[in-house]
Amino acid sequence: MASVLNPTAQSESNIEVHRFYSGAVIAVAFLALILQAFLHKYGTWSELVDLPLLVTIYFGVSRRNPVSGLLLGAAIGLTQDALSHDNPIGLYGIAKTLVGYVASSVGARIDTEHPLSRFALVFVLFHFQQVILAIMDRVLLNHPAPMFTLRLLLSSFATAAAGVVLFALLDRLRRSS
Amino acid sequence: MADMMFISRHRPLALLAAAVLAQVMLLAYQIKREHDVRLLRYWAAEVVTPTGRAGTWGFSRVAGVWEGYFALHHAHVENEQLKAELGELQLRNRELESQAAEGQRLAGLLSFHEAHPETSMLAAQVIDASADPASRTMFINRGDRDHIRRNMGVITPEGIVGKIVETYPTKSEVLLISDKDSGVGALLADTRTHGVVKGGGDSGPHLDYVVNDEKVHAGEVVVTSGEDRIFPKDLLVGKVAEFHPGNPFQVIRVAPAVRLDRLEDVLVLLTQQEIAPKKADDTSAAASPSATEDIVQTETVPTGSPITLPAGTNPEAPAANASKPATTTGAPAIGSNMRGAKPVPSKSVPPKASGTDRQKSSQESAGSTPHQ
Repeated sequence: MASVLNPTAQSESNIEVHRFYSGAVIAVAFLALILQAFLHKYGTWSELVDLPLLVTIYFGVSRRNPVSGLLLGAAIGLTQDALSHDNPIGLYGIAKTLVGYVASSVGARIDTEHPLSRFALVFVLFHFQQVILAIMDRVLLNHPAPMFTLRLLLSSFATAAAGVVLFALLDRLRRSS
Repeated sequence: MADMMFISRHRPLALLAAAVLAQVMLLAYQIKREHDVRLLRYWAAEVVTPTGRAGTWGFSRVAGVWEGYFALHHAHVENEQLKAELGELQLRNRELESQAAEGQRLAGLLSFHEAHPETSMLAAQVIDASADPASRTMFINRGDRDHIRRNMGVITPEGIVGKIVETYPTKSEVLLISDKDSGVGALLADTRTHGVVKGGGDSGPHLDYVVNDEKVHAGEVVVTSGEDRIFPKDLLVGKVAEFHPGNPFQVIRVAPAVRLDRLEDVLVLLTQQEIAPKKADDTSAAASPSATEDIVQTETVPTGSPITLPAGTNPEAPAANASKPATTTGAPAIGSNMRGAKPVPSKSVPPKASGTDRQKSSQESAGSTPHQ
C-alpha cells in the first residue's frame, strides 16, 4: 500500500500529476477517519460531511492514477467499516474503492482545480457512493435502503462545500515539481 | 499471451474488479441469510449446485449411452440366461397348474366318495383310449389286482361314464356310454318315463323306447334307472338335448353330463348299492319313491367282486329279479348291452318282451360278457 501511495509513483505522461510529501496521504486519510469518528459524538451535524470520501476524491483526482486511487479508496473504506459499529466489513470499502477509481479516471480527463468543478465533482461522487451503498444494502444485506432522500441531498451539498474548502487546504501539501 | 497483454493494458480495471470482488466475498462471508447460512455459502451452493446437476446429467447421459449401446456384450448372454430361466419357470408353472387341476379333480372325487360312504368305490385314472376311432372305450389304471371286474360301473361326481368291459392285471377297459354298443337303463327324471340310453357313436347317446305320447322337454334330466344291474338308480346320465317324434319311438338325443372326451379321473363302483342324493340341488337326479317301487333295488355285485355282500343277499337275485316287469313304459329289461333286446312300446306288452327275454338279458348283464 505504501509503495502504491508513494508520491514517486508513475502516472500517465501527458497529464499533470501532483505529488505530495512523504506520508502526507496516509496521515491525511488517518486524520480524516479520526475526525469523522471524533466529531460524530458532538452532534449529528458532523454526519452531513463525509471526510473520508473527500480525502478519497481529492487524492484520486490529484494523483490521477486509477490503481492508487482505488487502493486508497479501499483502504479508507475498509477502515471506516472497521470503525463503525454495525457495518459489515467491506460495505464502505467497495463504495470508496469505486469512488477512488472513478475520481482518478475523471481527474485525468477534466479540470479539477476550479472550485466549482470540485464542488460538482464531490456532489456527483457523493451520490454515486450513495447509489452503490443502497444497491449493496438491497442486494447483499437485504435492507431496503433509499437511494435519494432530502437529508442525503443536504448532506451532498454540505460535503461538496466542505470539499471545496478541504481541497484548497490539501493543495498546500503538494510538492512543487 | 493475448490474455496477458489484455490484462496488462487494462490493469487498473482488472485490479478494480479484483478489489471489489474480494470485498464482496468479505461481505458475503459476514452476512447471514435465512437459516443462519452465510451468504458466501449460499452463493457457493447456488453456483456449484447447477454445475453439479449439469455434470451429473451429462455423466448419466454418457453412462446411459455407454451402457445402452456399447457395453452390451453381456446382454446377449444375460438374455439367453433369462430366456432359459423363463422357459424353466413356464414349465414349472404348467406343472403346478396341472397339479392344482389334478388336486381339484381328486378333491371332487374324494368329496363325492365321502358323501356316499355306503357305496364302495375305487378311484382310477384314465391312462389310455381306444385305438379304434369307431369305438368309445378307454383304459384305466385299475385291474384284476385291484378287484376290478367286468360290468362294474364307472362314474364321476358329475355323472356316469360307462362300464368295465375287460379287465387285465393292472388295467381295465371301459366302454363309454357314447359307444354304439353301450346301453344304460335310464329314465326321465320329471315324468319317470323309462327308456334305454344307447350310445350312438358319432351322433352321441340317445334315449330309446319312449313312446311318442310321452311328453318330453329339452333340458330334462335323464338319470339311471338301476335296471341294468350296473349303475345304481338315480345317477345323472345327462340332459335331453333335442327330441322329435319317430317311428315307433321318439328320437331323443341326450347330452352326457360328463365330458367323455376329457376324462382324467373316475370312480369305479364296486357295488350297485343305491347312491342317495345328499344335497337339495341334487334332486334333479333324484327319483320319487313311488316311481321306483317296481325297480330292482337289490344290491348287486358283479361276478368275482371282492366286496362283502350284506347278509341275506343272493348273488343270483339280480337275474331273478330281472324277470319282473320293468317299467310302465314297457321297455325291455335293461342289460349292459341292449343288442338282442326287443323294444316294446309303452303301456303295451308285446309277445317278444316276455319276462324270459328280460331275464335272459339280465343274466347277460350280470354275468356274461355282453359285447362279445
